[in-house]
Formats: sequence, C-alpha cells, structure tokens
Amino acid sequence: MSKKAKGKRPVYFDDPQIDKMLAIIMALTAEVSVLRDRLDTLEHLIQDKGIISIDEIETYQPDEQVAKEREQRRAEYIARVLRVVQEEVEALQQH
Amino acid sequence: MTQQYKHSMLPETNHDELARQNFFQSLSNHVFRQIAPGNKVIYETVLKPKFEQQYQRSPKDRHEVRRLMQDQPYYRWYGALKRTTQEMMWESVISSVERQLPELIERAKEQGSKLGTLTLDPNFQTPKYQKAVDIHCMPGGYHDESILDDVSVGAIYDRFAYIYGQGWLGSLNDDMGQSAIQNYLKQQHPNFQPTKILDLGCSVGHSTLPYVDAYPEAEIYAIDIGASMLRYGHARAEALGKKVHFSQQNAEKTNFPDRSFNLIVSHILLHEIPVPAIRNVMRECYRLLAPGGMMIHVEGSLFRHMDAYRAFMYDWETANNNEPFWSAMRDLDLTAVVSQAGFAAENIIETFIPGGSGMQKSSNDNSPNSKLNMGMRWFLLAATK
Repeated sequence: MSKKAKGKRPVYFDDPQIDKMLAIIMALTAEVSVLRDRLDTLEHLIQDKGIISIDEIETYQPDEQVAKEREQRRAEYIARVLRVVQEEVEALQQH
Repeated sequence: MTQQYKHSMLPETNHDELARQNFFQSLSNHVFRQIAPGNKVIYETVLKPKFEQQYQRSPKDRHEVRRLMQDQPYYRWYGALKRTTQEMMWESVISSVERQLPELIERAKEQGSKLGTLTLDPNFQTPKYQKAVDIHCMPGGYHDESILDDVSVGAIYDRFAYIYGQGWLGSLNDDMGQSAIQNYLKQQHPNFQPTKILDLGCSVGHSTLPYVDAYPEAEIYAIDIGASMLRYGHARAEALGKKVHFSQQNAEKTNFPDRSFNLIVSHILLHEIPVPAIRNVMRECYRLLAPGGMMIHVEGSLFRHMDAYRAFMYDWETANNNEPFWSAMRDLDLTAVVSQAGFAAENIIETFIPGGSGMQKSSNDNSPNSKLNMGMRWFLLAATK
C-alpha cells in the first residue's frame, strides 16, 4: 500500500528540515495524546471495577521513596531528550 | 459529535488507532477554528491597509492577496500544520486498514451481490490526470491496487471522509446526496419520479445511497474509476441493504446507451477533473439523458461567489493539498460549458442549497459541533434536457 501521496510537497519554512521537524513533533504529540487516552481508559476501568477511584489518583501523595524514584526518572528522561545539546560540550571535555 | 455509522464493512479501530484518529480530528479542528482565522486578522489589520495606502485600492483578486500573504510566517505555519495534519490523518487511517485488510477483503466477498451488481473492467485505463498526483494527498489516489480483490482504497476513503469532515456530512457521509434530494429535488421538482438514475464519480457511494431510498422505484447506477473503491462501495451498499449497480467507468465516456437515464448526478466530482474532462462529462450527460431528464452536479462555491481574501484561502488546496483542478473548475463559466454540451440556456440553473440534511436525518446530536453545520450550503449546477 502507498504511504506517500504522489505529487510535489510544498516547503513551508526557510529551511526544509524544519518542515520535517514539525512532522516529527506532531507525530510525537499524537502519541502522547494516544497514551493519555489509554491511561484514561485504564483509570475508568479500574474505577468501574471498584478497585480505586479516579479521585484517589487525583489526591495521591507519593511517599518519600516514590517521590525520589520519580525525581530520578525525570532527570534521566530530560537528559536523554536534551542529550544532543550537551554533546558538543562533552566532546570538548574529552580532549 | 455523532459517531460514524458502523455498517459491517467499516474498518474497525482498536483503542490506540481510534485515539490517534481522534487526535488528528481534534488537531484539524484546531487548525481550522483557532489558527486559520488569524490569517484574516493579519491580512485585514496589517497587509490590506498597507496595500491600500500604497495603491489607493484593495487587492483585486486572490493572486494579489497571495503575493501579500505567502511569505507571512503565520500563514506558513498555518500551511505547514494543515498539510502535516492531512498527511498524518491519512496515515492514521491507512495503518489501521492495512492491519485488517485480509479480513476486510473476506467480509466484502461474504457480502456477495444479493441486491446490486459490481462490474469491473480489467482493461480499464485510469485517466492520466488522475495518475499525475494523488488527489487531496491520499496516498495511492483513488485508483491504487495493492493486492488481489483489494478493498483498501474504499475502506480508507470511507473512514477518512468521516474524520476529515468532523462528522459534518452525517453518520453515513451522505449529506451531499441527502441535501440534493431534500433541499432541491423534493422542493423544486416534487413530482419528478426518475426511473433510472446514474451517479458519476461515486467513490464508495456515500452520496449514491440516498437516491435508493428517495426513489424506491428507480434503478440506481453508479460509476467510478477505482476498482478497489468500487469493490468496497458495492459491499458497503449490500451491507446497508441498498440496491445499486456499480461499474468501473470513466464519466467522460461510458458504455451506457443514449438516453438511458432520467437523472444523472455527481457530488464534488467536477473539481477533481481538468476542464477538458468537465466538458466531456457534460457532453456525456447530454447523450445519456432521456428527453426531459435532469442532471445535477453538487459542488463547493466558485471563486466568483467569494471576495478576494476568501478565494485566496480556498485556493490553498490547489498546491498544498494536491488538488490540481480545484481552481480551474472554480474559475470556469459552468453555464457556458453546459450550454456548449447541448443543453438549452433557459434549462440551466446555478443555485445554492442548504446542506446539513445528512446530519439532520442521521442524528439528533446537540453537541456544539453540530452547530457548525448551520449555514453550510452546497453549490448546485442543474440542467434539464
């Protein structure tokens, strides 16, 4: 099956690479929305089965241990996303 | 918003496929309602006054508006977002259909031909103008065939049309057919009882099926160029219990005998074909109509119905959404073309009809989205032989 429509694709930005970047960002945005919907499905199913209520999720307070794990996970996540920014400096530091 | 009617040929969506399609529908809605209007603000408050100061007049047509707008960063962002949304919306439907294609092919076969018929032409030559670019950025166009007994093009089109239209065309995407019947034929020609009806460029038969209910005594024929589209359309009509005879033919030159039909219709066909093909279609309609018969072509507005700014915004589709014939058709004197095809000038009508019949008939939806439907109208070109 065809995946790309035949025909010249217009370029919208001064650098055509930005057009591609936009497509990548919108694809990621879509997947975040898909995940959020999936989570919402889970929350409702769990609530409907009387296991936990969505209210409990809203008012959940992580204890110290959980908060620490989350902080660690967030830091690693941000570092992975912004890796490319640091690479230039790291290359200099290695010499 | 209403849900698309789940007839047994409609491709299914799993959880994430539906979430993805819903996202692109929301994104498209955002671009249309929140981002597109900003272009007009920039035009009206900055660009137009500057132009008027310089030339002592307003921009006279869409070409002059384009020269002002085309390099505006905001307009470029709008275009980039709109184009990207269109591509990804197709992808969200294509990947879902591809996953279940073997099953859809089987389901189409199971539908059989209990009511209507399907006649494909293995030697059919797809017109060159349809192969040059894939219209409205649908990968593979209307004519693509990737496997034996393919129905994918029709399945993709059926689902996409609903998402793209935000449900405005009704739960069966049939607003154009419904509106032509309810808001024109039944109003203006209440005693007209066609016995043989032809729908040109029917795709999956969205607009064809309303004629089956509106004229139960009539035989209904529908043609299109795409075999996959027609296989799906035939199976869909059978699934919905509507008797239609589908065949693979070019509307410019069909194999029906002279004077075969009392009513010939088309719905947003004209803007997908070049001007010489439009002339051929009108001549073919004249040949195929019995004396006293009528043709009705439903379309969007023409450029002369719009001010320069609106025409410019409408024209976006031409280069940005692979609609090569969109603007040539909208600049055409259609009455002259119809007249040259043989119809008497006094029997040709150009008019507007309210849209929204498909929606009213198929839902009692009171959501805010349904209000968008108000004020929707279709351009209608009709002629009697």
